[in-house]
Amino acid sequence: MNRAVRKLIVPGSIVATIVLLVLLAPVLPLADVRGMDIPHRFAPPSGAHWLGQDEFGRDVLARLIWGGRASLFIAVGSALAAAVIGTTLGLLGGYFRGAVEIVTVRASEIVLCLPPLLLALLVVTILGAGTWPLILALTILYTPNYARVIYAATLQVRSLDFVTAQRAMGTHPLLILWRTILPNVMPPLLVQMSLVVASAMVIESGLSFLGLGVVPPTPSWGLMIRAARGAMELAPMLLVWPSLALAGTILTFNLLCDRLQSVLDPRATTAGGALWLRNPRPRTRRAATPVPRQEQAPAPLLDIRGLAISVDGGRQSMGLVENVSLSLQPGETLALVGESGSGKTLTGLAMTGLLPDSLSITGGTADFAPRDGAPIDLCQLDEQGFRALRGNEISMVFQDASAALNPVLRIGDQVAEAIRAHHSPSDADCDAAVVDLLRHVGIPDPERRMRAYPHELSGGQRQRAMIAVAIANNPRLLIADEPTTALDPTIQAQILQLFRKLKDDTPEMGMIFVTHDLAVVAEIADRVTVMYAGQVVEDGPVSEVFARPRHPYTAALIASVPEGGAERLVAIPGTVPTPNAMPPGCRFAPRCGHARPECTLAPPPVDTPAPGRRSRCIRWKEVT
Amino acid sequence: MFDTSPPPLIEAVGLGRNFETRHGLFGQRRDVWAVRDVSLSLARGETVGIVGESGCGKSTLGRMMLGLEAPTTGTVRFDGRDLSDYSGAARRKLARRMQMVFQDPFGSLDPRRSVGAQIADGLKTHSIVPPEAVQAEVTRLIEQVDLPAAAAQRRPHEFSGGQRQRIAVARALATRPDFIVADEPVSALDVSIQAQVVNLLMDLRRDLDLAMLFISHDLHVVRHLCTRIAVMYLGRIVEEGPADQVFGTPAHPYTRALLAATPSLHPRQQAAADRILPGELPSPANPPSGCPFRTRCPIAEDACAASVPAYRDMAPGWRSACIKPGPAAGGPR
Ligand SMILES: Nc1ncnc2c1ncn2[C@@H]1O[C@H](COP(=O)(O)OP(=O)(O)OP(=O)(O)O)[C@@H](O)[C@H]1O
Ligand code: SF4
Ligand code: SF4
Ligand SMILES: [Mg+2]
Repeated sequence: MNRAVRKLIVPGSIVATIVLLVLLAPVLPLADVRGMDIPHRFAPPSGAHWLGQDEFGRDVLARLIWGGRASLFIAVGSALAAAVIGTTLGLLGGYFRGAVEIVTVRASEIVLCLPPLLLALLVVTILGAGTWPLILALTILYTPNYARVIYAATLQVRSLDFVTAQRAMGTHPLLILWRTILPNVMPPLLVQMSLVVASAMVIESGLSFLGLGVVPPTPSWGLMIRAARGAMELAPMLLVWPSLALAGTILTFNLLCDRLQSVLDPRATTAGGALWLRNPRPRTRRAATPVPRQEQAPAPLLDIRGLAISVDGGRQSMGLVENVSLSLQPGETLALVGESGSGKTLTGLAMTGLLPDSLSITGGTADFAPRDGAPIDLCQLDEQGFRALRGNEISMVFQDASAALNPVLRIGDQVAEAIRAHHSPSDADCDAAVVDLLRHVGIPDPERRMRAYPHELSGGQRQRAMIAVAIANNPRLLIADEPTTALDPTIQAQILQLFRKLKDDTPEMGMIFVTHDLAVVAEIADRVTVMYAGQVVEDGPVSEVFARPRHPYTAALIASVPEGGAERLVAIPGTVPTPNAMPPGCRFAPRCGHARPECTLAPPPVDTPAPGRRSRCIRWKEVT
Repeated sequence: MFDTSPPPLIEAVGLGRNFETRHGLFGQRRDVWAVRDVSLSLARGETVGIVGESGCGKSTLGRMMLGLEAPTTGTVRFDGRDLSDYSGAARRKLARRMQMVFQDPFGSLDPRRSVGAQIADGLKTHSIVPPEAVQAEVTRLIEQVDLPAAAAQRRPHEFSGGQRQRIAVARALATRPDFIVADEPVSALDVSIQAQVVNLLMDLRRDLDLAMLFISHDLHVVRHLCTRIAVMYLGRIVEEGPADQVFGTPAHPYTRALLAATPSLHPRQQAAADRILPGELPSPANPPSGCPFRTRCPIAEDACAASVPAYRDMAPGWRSACIKPGPAAGGPR
């Protein structure tokens, strides 16, 4: 039994108790619900009458249970009936569309034109007051709600690939509806159900209260509330019991439906939260451990040593990035490659202080050389320090421009905003700078285009606009995270060309280019750093690394690219290990074709196969 | 070599698909032709690659060839018979022979049912094996795509992208199809995992004599896997022919541009700017007159606007829709 199922126990058993009580009402040793006892009107609770007696001296407990029988029967009965009918209509209408939609969903919506109370009155007037007419009225009333909710959910689900796969398989449409779509529209159905049960109970009470529902002397919670209202001063508790029963039952039903929904969700729900909200403290959790450094000839623009990033775990923290060292000279383009989950993006985010809140830097230093002044350790910098750097000295370009740009601001304003964050030019100067920037990144007709909203631009132009925002203040370091991955080949070539142009125009700017595409690395980068499972496994000049990889992972990655006419691609068996299940010793060992028993004994040290190159493999000599 | 080619298993003739859009209830109708006048045929054992940029109609063509989408114009013939002749139960029965593998490994499997149950669906629907043998067959299929038999009991979210894609392949193979449409089956996968799926597809083609329509925007993968290639631009096939010819000595300027734009492990040393196609794909709602590629074509001339260029045969089985086809500008060799 998993955690989600355990959460069902409490609401489930309360609902079961309520249902059992009302079902067993005829056989329970309850007082007669109609047995009047006028001398003991409004008697307080006693041994014989646990909840006291009402205005005719009838036993309140018995009436509460029998009343629940009527109320629940009506509410749950009509909710279920409406659910069955409405779901059927919604499924059919949403799946088949066209004429079927008109005779199902649209037809049922006519009911929505009538005020609910009027509809109930109509039915009750025609059929007379009583339990069954009330169920009928409520069923009619709630059917369109279900139909609409299920219709919308069906529309969404039917276009998913796994439904198309069923169609392609020749499965009968009704079987698809039953087996594939219905389970997937269950969550909204349950939500709707809990709302309808609650609302039906309230309406039942209301109608009975008006004398249109359950006919006295049959008890119902609505009738009890109505009767108790008249005697509120004399016996306030008479009002409390049915109201409590009503509210409690509704709440329990809602809770049950809520929990059911999470049980039915096949994926473990991850904790939500404003992951991207910055917090002002420095994003480190440790005393600075000085890493020994050797002096180097030219001062690097960015020098990362022993960077570690971990999840702030309650019980234990989990390392996502470990001991990453790399350095970037001014004017150099460094490609960070690796499979998804290898820690490329996190390394980039850490350098801009944009790590999600649940992560923090747990080790290492990252010395960044700003335009003037002494080098800054980015690992120790707080949010305020980053704010001065970000968009000014260090900028970032993301994969998804439509998510990174503000959809309600014109792109010209967004570029201007980036400039004004660090400078205060006059309006005219700023406009001129914006036009220049947009022209620089290749947006045609920039004077007009600066007034466009992001959604009015094509994907390639949005990417260009985001690059314009990033380079607005001539940053010294540009971090580009998969900036061309979502683009078409011809547009990708245009954007890569733009990056090349930026390199030529600003020879001092260093660039970290995060990508998983080795061919893009070959096209754009000077040096390449290969990451695997949170570690740097190989590093060196692109031409040297690609000509002669010195780590089995790099070699396998290159061989898995279908270029060069090999009859069969080299597939790396297995998958990247997850951070909580890192293999001991070399992290690549389970997938490595060169692995030896000694590989799993201890993490391999970083070796230097040639000047300017590194490899984290004990057998690098034998790789190629 | 083309005279001895086997008769086509599936054949599209003059296929077109129009998605009408309407602005408001009584607004003007606009035609958006996602696919126009496409003819293409596949024989058993053949893998035809469809390449082109997003929105050029690749997926729509694939779905029409599977009968998942009704063509606005033209017909699809499967084994010599028009797909629109089938309906109801007969159509569903035919579905056994045609299957699809999708791009998104996370959307193509039902998250609420076990992997084994989803693979078994096809087996049961078409009574491929007797009911008591379903379990064994599911195990066989799962092992065929290199997963442990125990995978059958698990639900899709417990698998990685590459594993899910292999499960999707196993599901498609369950009905023992003759024809598979694979719509970007490796695009969402990591490089090292991509190779697993590509190798699997190659083995299957060899072992099962499948006809496969392989849709992708990754030219390297297509070249590796496909025997024939069709290049699409704005809903039309602009060039089609044997893989070696189309990618080796491309006849259409768009094919050349696409090849030049594709990043390579061994970047060519030619002046970078020459390889870059200017501009963007025009909207399918408002295509250029004449040659659809004319607005971006580096060698366009006035004659290109006159009418949609007819196909010219470059060699038997190799055609190109350009008035100046050839490995470089200046007419056929
Ligand atoms: N149901 C639809 N309604 C309206 N337009 C559609 C519909 N389906 C596709 N289109 C349009 O048809 C064109 C071709 O779409 P299709 O999905 O076939 O492109 P694609 O080449 O597969 O692109 P991608 O590589 O992005 O998957 C696009 O312009 C798209 O917007
Ligand atoms: S250390 Fe051993 S297991 Fe790790 S990459 Fe090198 S050879 Fe392979
Ligand atoms: S017909 Fe003209 S515009 Fe079209 S591809 Fe050929 S040369 Fe270019
Ligand atoms: Mg597509």
